Amino acid sequence: MSLLESIRVALEGIRANKLRSFLTTLGIIIGIAAVIAVVAIGQGGRAILMAEMEKLGTNIFTIYVDWRSGAQPTGKMLELSDVQVLKDKVPGITHISANTSTMEDVRGSKNKKYSRVSGVSSDYEYIRKMTIKTGHFFSREDDSLGRRVAVLDEALADEIFGRSKPVGNIIRIGSTPFIVVGVVAKGDSILGLSEEPRVFIPSRSWQNMFGTYVNSLEGSALSREKVQETMEQAVKVLERRHRSSAQYVSYSMEQEMQSANQVTGIMTLIIGAIAGISLLVGGIGVMNIMLVSVTERTREIGIRIALGASRKDILTQFLIESVVLCLIGGIIGMLLGVGGAFLIAKLANWPPLVSWWTMLIAFTFSATIGIIFGMLPANKAAKMNPIEALRRDT
Amino acid sequence: MIQVFDLTKIYSTGAQPVIALKDVNFEVKAGEFVAVMGPSGSGKSTMMNLLGCLDTPTSGSYKLDGIDISTLDETGMARVRNQKIGFVFQNFNLLPRMTALRNVELPMLYAGIDVRERMRRATSALERVGLADRINHRPNQISGGQVQRVAIARALVNEPAVILADEPTGNLDTRSGEEIMAIFQELNRGGSTIVLVTHERDIALHASRIIHFRDGRLVDDEKVETSLDAVEQKKIMGESNPRQGGK
Ligand SMILES: Nc1ncnc2c1ncn2[C@@H]1O[C@H](COP(=O)(O)OP(=O)(O)OP(=O)(O)O)[C@@H](O)[C@H]1O
Ligand SMILES: [Mg+2]
Repeated sequence: MSLLESIRVALEGIRANKLRSFLTTLGIIIGIAAVIAVVAIGQGGRAILMAEMEKLGTNIFTIYVDWRSGAQPTGKMLELSDVQVLKDKVPGITHISANTSTMEDVRGSKNKKYSRVSGVSSDYEYIRKMTIKTGHFFSREDDSLGRRVAVLDEALADEIFGRSKPVGNIIRIGSTPFIVVGVVAKGDSILGLSEEPRVFIPSRSWQNMFGTYVNSLEGSALSREKVQETMEQAVKVLERRHRSSAQYVSYSMEQEMQSANQVTGIMTLIIGAIAGISLLVGGIGVMNIMLVSVTERTREIGIRIALGASRKDILTQFLIESVVLCLIGGIIGMLLGVGGAFLIAKLANWPPLVSWWTMLIAFTFSATIGIIFGMLPANKAAKMNPIEALRRDT
Repeated sequence: MIQVFDLTKIYSTGAQPVIALKDVNFEVKAGEFVAVMGPSGSGKSTMMNLLGCLDTPTSGSYKLDGIDISTLDETGMARVRNQKIGFVFQNFNLLPRMTALRNVELPMLYAGIDVRERMRRATSALERVGLADRINHRPNQISGGQVQRVAIARALVNEPAVILADEPTGNLDTRSGEEIMAIFQELNRGGSTIVLVTHERDIALHASRIIHFRDGRLVDDEKVETSLDAVEQKKIMGESNPRQGGK
C-alpha cells in the first residue's frame, strides 16, 4: 500500500473518532504550545534586554580595583592623573572619565534631597550618552581647576528647584555651594541611570570635598569590536604605572551583554525543558490511547489481515495514524503557541520572536513523538493473530 | 486448484492438545463448487482457516493454484490472501464505518491498485451482486442479506482463485440465504471455484459436491447429481411467509 493510501486510511481512523483523537493529542497540543510560547517569549525578552544594553552603548567599559582579591593593594592604584595618561597612551580610547561617588544632602532653592554625588570627568557626558536638557555639561577646564559647578539630573532639579530655573542658581552639597551649569534628561533606557537622584560634579572638586581617591574609571572605545582590546590595553598601562598586577577588574558592556545573553539563554532552556517534559507526557498519552484504540479495533485488524494486509501494512497504518495525530496536535499547538506568544508579548510590551527553527523543531519533535510512542501500539496491532481477531465481537 | 495432503492441525494452547484436523486429503478442481458439512467442532472452520492462509498446519501440505503455501513467509501469505483468496464470513466482517464501496475497495488497496481502477472494479463488483444502488450505504444502513452481498463483492473483486465461505448463510433467513446461494451459483457458472461451509443440507445441495467432516477427519466425499437451483428455490418459496432459518 502506498504512503498516500496509508495516510488516507490513518485520517479515516482519526476522523471516525474525532473527540477521542482530539483528547489524545491534547497533551501534544499543550506541550508544543508551551514550548513555542516559552521560547518565543524568552527570545523576545532577550532581544529587548540586548536592545536596552545597546542603547547604553556597546563600546563602554569600566575598570576598578578589586579590593577583595586577597593581595594587599599596592598603594594608590587609581588616580585622577590616570585619566589623562590613559587617553595619551591608549589610542583606542575615545573618552575616559574617573568616577567616584558618595551620598550627600543636596539643597536647592526650594527643597533638599539626599542624593548621589558623583565626581566625574567632562568626558562622562559622552560615555554615558547624556542628553543635556538645559545648560551644558561642565568642561575639562572646570574639572582640572576643580571649579564648583554641578550638573543635576532632571528629576532632582525638579524636586529641589520646583518651578524656578536651576541653571545659574546655587545648590549646596552638604554645606559647600555649587553653581548649576546644566540639567541632563532622563535616559531612555530602562537599564540606564538608576532612579536615585544624582548630581555630577568635576572629579577634582569631588576630591577636594570628600578625599583623594577614585572608585573606578569609565571609558568608551572606538567600536564594539575594539572595546575588549582597548580595555585590556588600559589595564596594562595601569598595571605598569602602579606596579601592580591582576588587581584591576574590568568589565565591558560587550561582556555584560554576553553574560546576559547566556543567562537568558539558560533560562529559556530550562523553562523550555520543563515544557518539553509536558510533551513527553503528551506522547505517553498518545501511546495510551493508541493502545486502547488497537484493542478496540482488533476485529478491524483481523479483517484487514484476512483481506491481504501484511503485518507491515498494519504496522504502518497505526504508526502513521500516531504520527498524523501528533502532527495535527503539533500544528494546533504551534498555532496556539504562536498566538499565545503574540498575546503575552503584547501585554508585556516586547517583541515576540517566533523563529522558523522553533517551528521546525516543534514539527519534527511531534512527528518523532508520534513514531516513538506509536511504535508499541502499532507493533501490538501488527502481531495480532487474525483468527482470534476475527472472532472478537468488537 | 486446491490440493491438500495429510493436513493435520493440533491446537496445543489449552490444557491438553486438541486434534482439530487429522490427515485430511482432498482436491478441489478449478471451477468446482464444494460444500463442507459436519457436526459442530468437526474441524470445518479450522480447515477453512488453513485454506485461507490465516493459519498454518501442524503438518501436511497445501497447494493453492500451484503454489506450495508452506514455503511462503508472512508477506507471501499476505499476498496469497490478497490475490488468490476471497473470504466470506458468517458474521460478514465489513468495516462498519465505511461505505459499501470503500469496503469493496479494501482488498485492492492492499493490492496497490490505483484509485480510479479501484472505483471502477468495486462498482462493477457491487453491480454483480445486485447492489448498484447501495454503493454509498454503510453496513448499518442495509439489510443482513445485502451486507453479505457486499462481503461477496469484496471477496470477488480481486478475482481470486478460490472463494472461501464459512457458513455465509448462517446469520440469514432462508430467503436471504437463497439469494446469497443464487449469487454463488452464478459466480460458479462464471468459472469461480467456491468452497462453502454449511450446517444445512438444503444449502449444501446447491453445490456440485459435498465433503463431510467428523472429528477432524474427512469421512465422506459426495457428488451432488442434480444441484438445487437457488433461483428456482426462491420461486418455490414464492410470496408465502419465508421459513425462518439460520441462527
Ligand atoms: N484456537 C483454538 N484453540 C484450541 N482449540 C481450538 C481452537 N480453535 C478451534 N479449536 C478446537 O478445534 C476443534 C475444531 O473447531 P472448528 O472451529 O474447526 O469446528 P467447526 O467444525 O467449525 O465447528 P462449528 O460448526 O461449530 O463452527 C474444536 O474442538 C475446537 O474446540
Ligand atoms: Mg466453524
